[in-house]
Amino acid sequence: MTSDNLILKVEGITKSFGAQRPALSDVSFELHSGEVLCLVGENGAGKSTLIKILSGAETPDFGTILLNSKETHGLTPRDAIASGVATIYQDVELIDSLSVADNIFLGSEMQSAYGLGVDRLAQEKESKRYLDLLHIDIRPSVLVESLSAAQKQNLQIVKALHQDARILIMDEPTSSLGFEETRSLMSLVGELRSRGMAIIYISHYLEEIFEIGDTILILKDGERVGLYPRLAVDVDFVIHSMVGRDASLFFQRESVPVGDVRVIVKEMTWDEVVKKVSFEVRAGEVFGIGGLVGSGRSELVGLIYGMYKRSSGEVIIDGRKIPRGNPSSAIQSGIRLITEDRKKYAMFGQRSVAENITITHNELTGGALLNKKQEAVLTTTLIDQLHIAVASHAQSIESLSGGNQQKAIIARWMLDDADLYIFDEPTKGVDIGAKEEIYKVIVELARRGKCILMVSSDMPELLSMSDRIGVMRAGEMVKILVKDQSVDEHLLIKEFVGS
Amino acid sequence: MGTRMNKYTSSILRNQWFLLLIVIAVISVTTGSINPRFYNINNLVNILEQISVLGVIASGATILIISGNFDISVGASIGLSACVMAMLMKAGVPPGVAVVAGIGVALLCALFVGVNSIVFKAPSFIISLASIGVFKGIALFMTQATLQTIYGEFEAIGLTRFFGVVPLIFLISLAVFLIIGFLLGYSKLGRRVYAIGSNERAAFLAGIAINRNKLVFFAINGLLVGIAATMLLSRIGAAQPSTGAGIELLAIGAVVVGGTPMTGGRGRILGTFFGVLLMGVISNSLNMLQVSPYFQDVTFGLLIIFSVAVSALSRKSS
Ligand SMILES: Nc1ncnc2c1ncn2[C@@H]1O[C@H](COP(=O)(O)OP(=O)(O)OP(=O)(O)O)[C@@H](O)[C@H]1O
Ligand SMILES: [Mg+2]
Repeated sequence: MTSDNLILKVEGITKSFGAQRPALSDVSFELHSGEVLCLVGENGAGKSTLIKILSGAETPDFGTILLNSKETHGLTPRDAIASGVATIYQDVELIDSLSVADNIFLGSEMQSAYGLGVDRLAQEKESKRYLDLLHIDIRPSVLVESLSAAQKQNLQIVKALHQDARILIMDEPTSSLGFEETRSLMSLVGELRSRGMAIIYISHYLEEIFEIGDTILILKDGERVGLYPRLAVDVDFVIHSMVGRDASLFFQRESVPVGDVRVIVKEMTWDEVVKKVSFEVRAGEVFGIGGLVGSGRSELVGLIYGMYKRSSGEVIIDGRKIPRGNPSSAIQSGIRLITEDRKKYAMFGQRSVAENITITHNELTGGALLNKKQEAVLTTTLIDQLHIAVASHAQSIESLSGGNQQKAIIARWMLDDADLYIFDEPTKGVDIGAKEEIYKVIVELARRGKCILMVSSDMPELLSMSDRIGVMRAGEMVKILVKDQSVDEHLLIKEFVGS
Repeated sequence: MGTRMNKYTSSILRNQWFLLLIVIAVISVTTGSINPRFYNINNLVNILEQISVLGVIASGATILIISGNFDISVGASIGLSACVMAMLMKAGVPPGVAVVAGIGVALLCALFVGVNSIVFKAPSFIISLASIGVFKGIALFMTQATLQTIYGEFEAIGLTRFFGVVPLIFLISLAVFLIIGFLLGYSKLGRRVYAIGSNERAAFLAGIAINRNKLVFFAINGLLVGIAATMLLSRIGAAQPSTGAGIELLAIGAVVVGGTPMTGGRGRILGTFFGVLLMGVISNSLNMLQVSPYFQDVTFGLLIIFSVAVSALSRKSS
């Protein structure tokens, strides 16, 4: 990598949000065209803050950014886009009611002859060219609302390409993708790199990083630990530098004795989405649910919890029937659900960490008044137990880093005893060290004789945590695999796809 | 630039009541130096009396707006409730009974808005807008559009002043502020107000009974509207269907000026208190400075737009 293809140079970036410790202190690095730079670090290490600075969403307190040989002390979002920096955030920024082509050309529409409106056909043709170039199989004329999460993400990448982006930033792009979609994103990144695009890639999945990264930038507590060529380091070294101790990619859970059947799900049906799904869960058992994105996994657990109204079927816990379509009574009957989309379904963004943690506890305990003393004690206990990094109890949950938000939501459900715990993608956005802590929480629940349902797109997680795995395909539970030596990733994928 | 601006606006919002206090002080000093009668004890008491009714209405509006709801029919339901009370008193019903009936009417009006917006899953803003016509129409039909006077019959609440200076209705208003403040800050109901306003779907999934709680919020608002109608009736000694019209805008304005965003999920009663006080002081100052009353409407309109703009700006930056 010679200095003439240097595209971005960041020097001495410091950013503080007023907490004791700055979110970033004195971070420097260089990026070259055709380089995939992977940014890794624990939850709250400052990864998202760094890329927000590069995309103009935040301004650094100190430091310089040299972009296209122009030096600045901070960018606006407009500057960033104009200088060819495209950022793909988690919350997709596309317009659902417009077509794929319209979204790609938004703001730079192709005019038809005589300036009479937009030339749809030309736009669609041009869009198709881009899509084909990247081997993405989406028709330009369909509405964006009909696309899957993965397709929307691909579309954002195409849009960036259309805007002549030279630096593409992706913050945890695979955290909401399934196995196959992750594969195709990986190859898309490779394709872009060979076209000379510089890429900054954030992920907690080290397998991905070691597959596509050229260089690895490790952050810890807002400071740069080092910038290494991928070939010069191994997984253990990276984990150790990130977490400050050893941890394994593969969690070895201890086994706990499995008891009698406590939970029965009978012929659960919801229109065409979930079809006659039946299974049982025993005391102390972790029942994994696997399948491709869109196979009805989240809908199934949502139905059990009463998030949606089932068309027919039953849920029985210790002989009690759970009424349909009523989360409040599901909670009263001892069911807990950690949803996959915390922003949409779990977080009260502007409210404090303490309020977010104790919200359901307040509903379950009697009395009309809050017990603020007890609330503070409970919050402190859980923050310590799950190692949630917060500046204070009063901090708004939306100002926590992604992984710490997830831990705070899990904390909410640990306050009161229950019978069935449903985890839908429990470690989404959570760093390696914290993953282990969440796994330990799950195992501890199992040890206490609770029943656990766990939906996961993370194969190693599904395999290492589950006692049995229910395979969902097109709304049906086609098979229940008992975990033994013969069950591995290959077998699972074959079952998911169904061939 | 961006972040400095963020920090700036967010710290303003956090201390919005403090800022309001400064603005109120500046306006008072300016008015007082032009017209010293502003400092007259009678005038100051007058301000307190004038903001009392608005204060009660704005307290209810604070709960609704934080929870993501609006009731802009409160002006019309004050009119209906006051007319019912006045007509009953004229017909010889004991004032106590009439007041209970009037408050009941206001409660029904609020539940009407609440139930319809829940059943039809429609924004309460629209439902309450439509309800204005319903309530006003009923009041007009009942009174045949005539003024219902009860001069001298029901003055105790409106005219009582302790030690000759502290108006009873201001104490009622203050008590309402304290109760609502306590509810929001220290009760589970308050938590639900914030939770539902912040993310209704998440509140549902966290086990909060959304519909029941929303109805309670509307009911509290209705109760306060009834109390406000009673205070107003006792102060003026007469009612007509247009009594109270337009107060909903002032109330929403006071809430927003006080730092509660229109999008809900956040806000404090202290802000609303100072918002109400600001409105009272501005209105009184304009009188003292002999500005045309028409211009007062312009002033309030601009003030509300200004504070909505501040709230929109802070949302963009966060
Ligand atoms: N707007 C904000 N206000 C206050 N603190 C903030 C804000 N944004 C970020 N922080 C803090 O800055 C630190 C770094 O956060 P950041 O989101 O960059 O972490 P991250 O490395 O992306 O973590 P994760 O892996 O969990 O996504 C955290 O301690 C977080 O609480
Ligand atoms: Mg992050």
